[in-house]
Amino acid sequence: MARRVAIVGAGMQKFARRKEENINEMIFEVAKNALDNAGLTRDAIDAVVLGNAVDAFCGIHNSSKLAVEGSGGLMKPMMMNSTSGSTAISLPILGYTHVASGLYDVVMVIAYEKMSENLAAQAVFNTVYDEVYVRPLGLNVPLQCGLEARRYLNKYGLTEVHMAKVSVKNRGNALSNPYAQMPMKITVGDVLNSPYISWPVKLFDTSPVTDGARAVIFAAEDVAREITDDPVWVRGVGRGANSCYFMGRRLDDLGRLDYAYLAARQAYDMAGIKNPRAVIDYAEVYDPFTYKEMQHCEALGLCDEGGAGRMLDEGTSSKEGKLPVNASGGLQGEGNPIAAGMSRLCWCYKMIKKEAGDCQVPKEVNTAICNGWGGMFQYSAVMIIGRD
Amino acid sequence: MSKDVKPITISGEIQVPYNFAVGLAGSRFLAELRDNGKFMATKCKKCGYVMMPPRIFCEECFIDDVEWVEASSKGKIQTFAVSYMSPEGKRIKDPWMLAIVKLDKSDGGLLVRLDEVKPDDVKIGMRVEAVLKPKNQRVGSILDIQHFRPVKD
Repeated sequence: MARRVAIVGAGMQKFARRKEENINEMIFEVAKNALDNAGLTRDAIDAVVLGNAVDAFCGIHNSSKLAVEGSGGLMKPMMMNSTSGSTAISLPILGYTHVASGLYDVVMVIAYEKMSENLAAQAVFNTVYDEVYVRPLGLNVPLQCGLEARRYLNKYGLTEVHMAKVSVKNRGNALSNPYAQMPMKITVGDVLNSPYISWPVKLFDTSPVTDGARAVIFAAEDVAREITDDPVWVRGVGRGANSCYFMGRRLDDLGRLDYAYLAARQAYDMAGIKNPRAVIDYAEVYDPFTYKEMQHCEALGLCDEGGAGRMLDEGTSSKEGKLPVNASGGLQGEGNPIAAGMSRLCWCYKMIKKEAGDCQVPKEVNTAICNGWGGMFQYSAVMIIGRD
Repeated sequence: MSKDVKPITISGEIQVPYNFAVGLAGSRFLAELRDNGKFMATKCKKCGYVMMPPRIFCEECFIDDVEWVEASSKGKIQTFAVSYMSPEGKRIKDPWMLAIVKLDKSDGGLLVRLDEVKPDDVKIGMRVEAVLKPKNQRVGSILDIQHFRPVKD
């Protein structure tokens, strides 16, 4: 039987083009912040889990080997994990399992991405495609999202205006986030008038290339209770994977993310949550493109399938809404250093602990959910945290 | 700390040549496309699922008892995307299109280039057919499919 595991600290830093630092220097800041947040020192860390999404961005294969000292992992057990963009949540799931298994009592998890050292981001993304059926055709990120977003809007009768509302909400929320790269006060019209990347995706539907890291510390129950009177427990985790042949799948037509529904169901089953909308107080969902927030809200059961547009129209997911989503600004407003999208988990933790500063939502948050997404429309990872 | 020193960066480049393995299923698929102009798929003998792109095992039943069957060179558009950027990332005047086409006589599909139609006239669900390169120009690549175009009735 898995042991109970709590999050006892989170470390953040500003997302920006951090050209002046190397990886070790960059992640030292978040590791130290997480230790300070937990009131721990490096000695308390039994093991380190770390990772990034795409090594080709920083140009060093298995770049985590350059991050041993900065992670606090010198002469400690260390393990890397990467599941493309969903590394953002698969990493903390791996950190959680390290503790839940009974193998270690306190584990530091660090997610990082150093994208700005690369001078040709599109050339890097081209290296992620299947070389037989996909890469020769010239697929790139804009077209990839165009394929998925068009299918999604068409399937459920949603519109570019719905997508624009995500951009306005999240970039606006980021105005309160001191770590954000892209805080902006904009209108739906501004988004609709921004240049097309590939219909229906426009410039203000995307999230910026950036650098940054996040750290989270997981602790076993007895250790957690020594650190805090108010532990935030990991209540559920789930993951799903689908074929890289996105053009020929048995399930999943790119409009409905079957693998993301699967990951959510696992997490809810583990947490014993039958009616998510009655229990989940707050959500941080993976929004590298605006329509991804909509798809993920549906897959996580935060609204009906195809109901993400209505959720936005009714303001349910706004900061003051009944079920706020990405009050931090999400990847849209905070920036998108891919794996460091673990920021979604950090903000769930901060909301529960009432440490979210100006991003704090007005309502009481006891239970929160976050997710990550990655690969060729392939991976989803979900984590639910909260009080008893 | 050391912020009074101007940070130094070092220029570099990584260029690595590869011979990518197309695989057992992919090699048969590309050879049939090149030599006979056929779209070959594999069918699981247990569950009957017809895989396109073909695989040498059924991903669901997890058995390798599959047979080769011919899929159609026609199908319908599941989704498509229009780009005003060249594959190299430069702005271009004449857009190009990619589509996911679900091929008839299979349960899967292919990512293909779409042509001989204006972007505004393309619809999800539209019937399309393959246009192959002339046989003497086919080399055993997915680009032996020149493009797909609307089916002419």
